[in-house]
Amino acid sequence: MENIEKQVREYAKKLLADGTVDVVVGYEGGTLPFQTTPCFITDPDDAKRLVWNRFCSVNLAKYVHDIIFGHKESQKRAKPEDRTKKKVGVIARGCTTRSLTIHLQEKQYDRDQVVIIGVPCAGFVANKKMSVAVDGKEVIACSVVGDSLSVQTKDGGKDVPLKEVLADNCLTCRFNNPIISDVMIGEAAPPMPDVEKEYEEVEAFEALPVDERWAYFTKEMGKCMRCYACRNTCPSCYCKVCFIEQNQPKWVGVGIDETDTQVFQFMRMFHMVGRCVDCGSCLEVCPMGVDLRKFLKKLDKDDFQLFDHRAGEAMESAPTLSVHSEDDKEAFIFEP
Amino acid sequence: MEKRVIKKDALAGIIKKMAESTLVYAPVREEDNLLFKVLEKGMEPLLDFDNAKNAPKNFFFPQTEVMMRYMRTERGKELSTGEGEIQEAVLFGVRPCDARSFVLLDNLFNDPKYKDPYYIKRREKTTIVSLACVHPPYTTCFCTSVDGHPLSSEGADVCLIDLGDTYLAECVTPKGEDLLKKMGDLPKADQALEAKKQELSDAAEKEVNGAVPAHAIKAWLDENFENPFWDTIHKSCLACGTCTYLCPTCHCFDITDEVKKEDGRRIRSWDSCMSWLFTVETSGHNPRTSQKERWRQRAMHKFKYFVDNFDAIACVGCGRCVMYCPVNIDIRKIVTDISKL
Repeated sequence: MENIEKQVREYAKKLLADGTVDVVVGYEGGTLPFQTTPCFITDPDDAKRLVWNRFCSVNLAKYVHDIIFGHKESQKRAKPEDRTKKKVGVIARGCTTRSLTIHLQEKQYDRDQVVIIGVPCAGFVANKKMSVAVDGKEVIACSVVGDSLSVQTKDGGKDVPLKEVLADNCLTCRFNNPIISDVMIGEAAPPMPDVEKEYEEVEAFEALPVDERWAYFTKEMGKCMRCYACRNTCPSCYCKVCFIEQNQPKWVGVGIDETDTQVFQFMRMFHMVGRCVDCGSCLEVCPMGVDLRKFLKKLDKDDFQLFDHRAGEAMESAPTLSVHSEDDKEAFIFEP
Repeated sequence: MEKRVIKKDALAGIIKKMAESTLVYAPVREEDNLLFKVLEKGMEPLLDFDNAKNAPKNFFFPQTEVMMRYMRTERGKELSTGEGEIQEAVLFGVRPCDARSFVLLDNLFNDPKYKDPYYIKRREKTTIVSLACVHPPYTTCFCTSVDGHPLSSEGADVCLIDLGDTYLAECVTPKGEDLLKKMGDLPKADQALEAKKQELSDAAEKEVNGAVPAHAIKAWLDENFENPFWDTIHKSCLACGTCTYLCPTCHCFDITDEVKKEDGRRIRSWDSCMSWLFTVETSGHNPRTSQKERWRQRAMHKFKYFVDNFDAIACVGCGRCVMYCPVNIDIRKIVTDISKL
């Protein structure tokens, strides 16, 4: 991993120095031991700030979209001939490239506006799982040593097997290597351990009686405080104005009424059909630990099993909701 | 000031008994979250805990609150008050930083000129029992940099200090004295306990990890509304409401009308300067065009505007925004960076 980090820095520096890109989006070290923070390098000499480790969690595709769109907005008043294109370099693992693919499929920007620095990925450490592993104590220091995570709290040190603290979406990830890239750094990563168990959790949930499923849904949504961190970190949530903030007409109340929260969450989820790459960003950023994945994964499973599609798996695999064919399955509409 | 002693193993029982007849808010564990909640039957109040994830401001300044209701009838409009009667309540287990947040919020909601009846009524009817930080719970704590102290009783009606086998209960206000009377016949504290408290207080102060130059940046903020520094904070910001919603002192709100056929209600709900919607005008124009301006507002509001208005920094150093920011934007670092400019 250190080696990949080194190469990433070198490559980013080169891209910036020769003017191939205006900015490189990556991760840098944070102020807390288990945190990295997205960073935006414009000066080649700053490329040494870039890190690549097990704490790089947030999906950076969101920022690529934001930067390109922000630039587009700023160009609106320029004469057409004076308009420039922003070129963004991005450190991208499998899920990030799937999100970029979705952006490209949905014509958000052109392929030549993004330079994808592909990195192999072996999964990131989920903050919440790490916190549970140390009984909610504050993590004072932590580091990855081989296959385990060494965590320090004020009660002492503890070694936790890495597999126990890797994000659930990483453990079952089938796309831990980039789908598309302009350069690939390092060797391809080996498959993740639980790929075949991808839908196990969803299947177990599906098997529950409907009232139990509803009870779980209402319990989980009851935790939500509507900070919208999930939506804001999601690369597929790029609407200029989200339905939740529209007020002509107003779709959802602004308060914390139980039903309003539920409507926000399931409406957002429905917008994710065939567009959720299971990157785990929404779970990782949620301050209240809402289990969104249970429901998003169900949509992912339906997308795959009914429409033979996986979000962002390939440029030529058109998004489910963007195509229609006569033999599309529809039984689920009548017999949910 | 009355001082009493409460046996450590008796406290949980006292609180639970109190909850049978009074509304009690206390920190409880809910799955993996530690939260301030209404203590209901069968719930266990936490005594040995770090701090709750949510700030207790919610009990005085709810995330959503009905201010009034209106109904259109044949005779015209009928108005009624929002919620029912506001009950007497006890807020238990507040950390000194959070207790201090109420003093700060009082400045705003109970200003001599502008009184907020919703907040004031709840505040008057609630007795606050704080639990001093004999050991400051987090490395991200920085209360001492923003005029707080881990053993301070500011903002509390009763302050409990863990002395090992017992709690020293200090009454700070008459409201606190009334509450202690209700707890039964508690023995008076002697001089020796007072000395022990002082010892703990000194040790706890040294344990607070961070020193943030919060006061030192005011002069810079006064002069630098426009400065390239403001370009350096916001880029990674997700514009979510985590920092503002978990913050004990953030108090911006929005007022909306929700109408269903003939019935309407006017609700006040938390707003967040991190949201693009924060200052959008009816015309569609937004004076804060990007996250940069929104972040400047957050920093300025806490360390300049509030100081200008009320002579106090609007931050209590609880560290929640530091711990829970999804992308690790750290207010301690921002303040420190500004102090070096």
